[in-house]
Amino acid sequence: MSRPIKHPFRLVSGVAVAALLVLTGCTSNSPDSEASGDGGGGDTKAVSANDDPGDTVTIGFSGPAADHGWLAAINSSALAEAEKYDDIELKTAEGTNDPSQQISQVETFINDKVDAIVLLPTDGAALTDIAIEAMDAGIPVINVDREFSSPFAARATILGDNYGMGVSAGTYACQVIDEKGIEDPVIAEIAGIDALPLTQDRSKGFKDALKACGQTVDNRVAAEFTVESGEEQASNLLQAAPKIDILWNHDDDQGVGVKAALDNAGRDEMTFIGGAGSCNAMDWIRDGSMAATVIYPPTQAADGIKLARLIAQDKGLSDLVQVEVPKRIVLNAPVVTADNVDEYSDLCFES
Amino acid sequence: MAEQAREQQELLLHMRGIVKTFPGVRALDGVDLDVRAGEVHCLLGQNGAGKSTLIKVLAGAHRPDEGTIEWRGEQVTLANPNAAIARGISTIYQELDLVAGLSVAENIFLGHEKSRGGLLKRSETRAAARALLKRLGHGEIRVDREVGTLPASGQQIVSMARALSHDTRLIVMDEPSAALDQQEVQTLFQVIRDLTAEGVAVVYISHRLEEIRQIGDRVTVLKDGRTVATDLPARGTATADLIRLMTGREIEYVFPEGPAAATDSKVVLEVDGLGLTKKFADVSFQVRAGEIVGLAGLVGAGRSEILETVYGARKASTGTVTVDGKRLRAGSVQAAVRAGIGLAPEERKSQGLLLDQAVYRNITVSSMSRFSRAGFLDRGAERAQARELAESLDVRPTGVDRPVRNLSGGNQQKVVLARWLLRDCRVLLLDEPTRGVDVGARSEIYALIRSLATRGVAVVVVSSEVEEVLGLADRVLVVREGLVVHEGPAEDIDEHKVLDLVMEGSAA
Amino acid sequence: MTQERTAPAHEGAEPPAQAPLAGSGTPQGSGLAQQVLGSSVGRNLGLVVALLILCGVGIWTAGEQFASVDNALTILRLASVIGVVSVGMTFVITGGGIDLSVGAIVALSSVWSTTLATQTMAEDYHWSVIVLAALAVGTGCGLVNGLLVSYGKVVPFIATLAMLASARGLAEIISERRTQIVHVTDFTKFFRADVIGIPVLVIIFALVAVVGWVVLNRTTFGRRTFAVGGNPEAARLAGIDVRRHTVALYAIVGLCCGIAAVMLVARTTTGSSTHGTLYELDAIAAVVIGGTLLSGGRGTIVGTVLGVLIFTTLQNVFVQNDLSSSVQAVAKGLIIVAAVLLQQRLAARSNTGSS
Repeated sequence: MSRPIKHPFRLVSGVAVAALLVLTGCTSNSPDSEASGDGGGGDTKAVSANDDPGDTVTIGFSGPAADHGWLAAINSSALAEAEKYDDIELKTAEGTNDPSQQISQVETFINDKVDAIVLLPTDGAALTDIAIEAMDAGIPVINVDREFSSPFAARATILGDNYGMGVSAGTYACQVIDEKGIEDPVIAEIAGIDALPLTQDRSKGFKDALKACGQTVDNRVAAEFTVESGEEQASNLLQAAPKIDILWNHDDDQGVGVKAALDNAGRDEMTFIGGAGSCNAMDWIRDGSMAATVIYPPTQAADGIKLARLIAQDKGLSDLVQVEVPKRIVLNAPVVTADNVDEYSDLCFES
Repeated sequence: MAEQAREQQELLLHMRGIVKTFPGVRALDGVDLDVRAGEVHCLLGQNGAGKSTLIKVLAGAHRPDEGTIEWRGEQVTLANPNAAIARGISTIYQELDLVAGLSVAENIFLGHEKSRGGLLKRSETRAAARALLKRLGHGEIRVDREVGTLPASGQQIVSMARALSHDTRLIVMDEPSAALDQQEVQTLFQVIRDLTAEGVAVVYISHRLEEIRQIGDRVTVLKDGRTVATDLPARGTATADLIRLMTGREIEYVFPEGPAAATDSKVVLEVDGLGLTKKFADVSFQVRAGEIVGLAGLVGAGRSEILETVYGARKASTGTVTVDGKRLRAGSVQAAVRAGIGLAPEERKSQGLLLDQAVYRNITVSSMSRFSRAGFLDRGAERAQARELAESLDVRPTGVDRPVRNLSGGNQQKVVLARWLLRDCRVLLLDEPTRGVDVGARSEIYALIRSLATRGVAVVVVSSEVEEVLGLADRVLVVREGLVVHEGPAEDIDEHKVLDLVMEGSAA
Repeated sequence: MTQERTAPAHEGAEPPAQAPLAGSGTPQGSGLAQQVLGSSVGRNLGLVVALLILCGVGIWTAGEQFASVDNALTILRLASVIGVVSVGMTFVITGGGIDLSVGAIVALSSVWSTTLATQTMAEDYHWSVIVLAALAVGTGCGLVNGLLVSYGKVVPFIATLAMLASARGLAEIISERRTQIVHVTDFTKFFRADVIGIPVLVIIFALVAVVGWVVLNRTTFGRRTFAVGGNPEAARLAGIDVRRHTVALYAIVGLCCGIAAVMLVARTTTGSSTHGTLYELDAIAAVVIGGTLLSGGRGTIVGTVLGVLIFTTLQNVFVQNDLSSSVQAVAKGLIIVAAVLLQQRLAARSNTGSS
């Protein structure tokens, strides 16, 4: 991983600065960059006997490239979780966006005979076959976030609820419309990458929840989860809709750009709702420039690691009567507003 | 013009023992050259003798490994083109060094633009360019026109204007007449005379001995990278002596004797009423197996276009082309090639050859299917065949793996001919077959063309040199302004008659 | 000799002898229409028509919402960042090269100029520190490209492909893949302001385009750029230092990337390694539909600016009509092909005469 080589690189780039430009100073982002990784705190959770050290288990972890704040948080919280247990030996594969590379990573885990595999697939369908292979080899696979296309591919599945996210956002929107008594509201949506199933699920949930209160989306654009695309699409959207009552943006990472576009245009008439739950979003909620954000937990992989340990050690979830770990866990997508923002700010991630 | 007066002139350039080596080649091996102010100094030598390298040294484009250059009595190093230009040495290259996308005026002042503080003075540039062109007798060339759209002769004029745009004391002209017709050559000579009268020196390179006699003062002969003779009077030296010096052999500049005109053999190529809008009209002729037909005419009279239309590279607007009784689809090179027509184009380097590819690939490129099995090339067979042909045509240097770019003009032309030989052509169209080919190699090319004909190939030759057409062809067609104005056996017509025909009416 | 000089033979023989070979282009064949079509204005005509059609579609489908001053400024503001990059790209392509690394350089410049260290310095001294940092990084990357291409003799495609990979990688390392938010309020205030109703970003774009046009068309540097791109050997023999010129061209595009990075940082209030994604393709597309020859030797800043505006307007029209980005991508492809085909027709017409 990048940790050990981080400082040498800083040194190299520091030299480059000195040579190239006197003015720039250095590229350092310290001081607080180290602290921000482990957003998911395990400390507050109930401690059970399950946390007592058991047989040492080897867990293989593979996720997509962390080219996005939320994904970076997924990876770092998983690593942090594994750190907490002396009986976990974590094998981490370099994050990739290439399904074929991820397949070969899983093949390596199988060859290494790890005790369990935690997999956040770049593409659920593409990784299904190799996951079945792992299961057939007797290695339990814990599927995180993007679901496989076969029920035989995973021992346990832990998912954020993309559809539920849309529903939460839509329901909250309905509530606002009702409370403020807005007649014929203009509702706009800034989606993420349209080709991804998760974006389609979120949009569908939003649409369905709005339908329940008799509303529809008036303007919709799709950005690319990047700040720049968020700004660009929002700028165009603001022109297309001179007045907006409700604006739901799927993703708080691109939300930085959306927010910039709003500020730029001096538009603050709408109820601005975010998605995912970045620390920026939490700050905006505190200072009132954002109404709410819908959590999409970045701690799923960390939970996946925990489940993998329990499964490999033949333990169950101690809070359940059932002796085995459940097959499928769908995380809630709660709405964070000014009222409850402090409860959730520990779980936020840096974009 | 008194020769003595010129001898008194200042010694402008004094090169001694110039050596330049490239990987594997010693291009210059001790060249001496003296040039006086106000003279036309001719540089003679076969292709590969080192003329091009020498002028590149003079232009600052190559740095010599050894030797000294004195310029107006002072030893200098010409480290880059700028250094040469700054001293007043301008060069007109044979490979025209113009930028096709820039206008005439922009090309003339390229590298020394008229500007103030980096900003161009455009109207001044145009006016100056116009003046220069007028001085060259070509005021009709629009200075805003893109150079790429000018014909070769026009580009030549632009190159000249560019050389004159510098404050020049010495102009090097590498085959300046190659792209010009006879009228334009005379204009060029007048410009040269005007220049020398002002004390400018000219180094003149040409393969045409008659031009050297007409314009030259002194001659220096190069052979194999060395100066073999210098200070020869241009008018007084016998042709035989010059050729002997250049080739090291006693050689006659000869045309092969054609067999008795083959009037009984089969007609292979029949062109009937061929026309191309704005280029030429109603061209009809027949070529029998074993016959060579020559097309004479001025540059731009439509000769090349006729060949290209027969070949299908241009789509005829009227008329037909028939090979062995079969009519060809108009505008289809594929149909022409399938019927057995081969074309050796005028612009050999840009149209005919894959310059950076090996000799053997250039020879086999049109007969690839012969060497392929299921799409895979049998390169051994390819090379062997090519080698056999190259040897029979005496392509030098030997070895078919060397890139064609490294061959001299004559040898490149042999490669083109070898390509069509390999294909067993029925009809061979040759456009300026000896352009850029030196005197020694010309006879070989002529003999080669004749031997192709005796094998039964129907040959059509286009050439700007009337002597070449008359010497080589059995039958001659004279083209003027897109019309055939004369057709008849070569022996019934002489050079004067041809010139009369091509000029006729032009004075009106 | 004299008789040939004095005889009208030459003067008279010349035009008819040359005419067939010279094709049209000779003075007698050129009407006004042809001159217009042959000029750069003519070449851009197709683009102006395309842009007007797009605007017409926009007005027709979205009415006042599209035709408002606000919307026009939004389109210009969105065009400004990629526009600046495309102006730089025009120089490199005209000079016979290509730069695939523009997007990555924008990302690296944006990240480098918004690190905590740079921002702290900017707060201590002046916000222009951020600007200088971005410009220096951009120009530096461009210099490296240029040196590799001209002195290292690496093919431009490969040299800049390497820069594409490594600059974005370095941006990720420096930013630790985080989005770096700008806290220097003076900086954002300056660049997000308006001057007599026109956003500063648009003014910067206009300045870059005007300066680019002047440099390319009215200076010796520009003239030599055409020569270097059209025929490098001829340029060298004319006494132009082709290698140094090439380095300068890549430095210019690097500088433009630095400027674009500053604008992007101001627009989004962030620096990020994801900034400038696929800028290389957008810029090349704009430059090529603008009429610049991909093989070098011919280039037009006006065409490039029109090309950028066409793409940006297209995007705006699609959002106004609530159409998906996939439809937009298809339309973009069609426009590229249509524009290039149209240009070829116009060029062919101006070459073959007014008939």
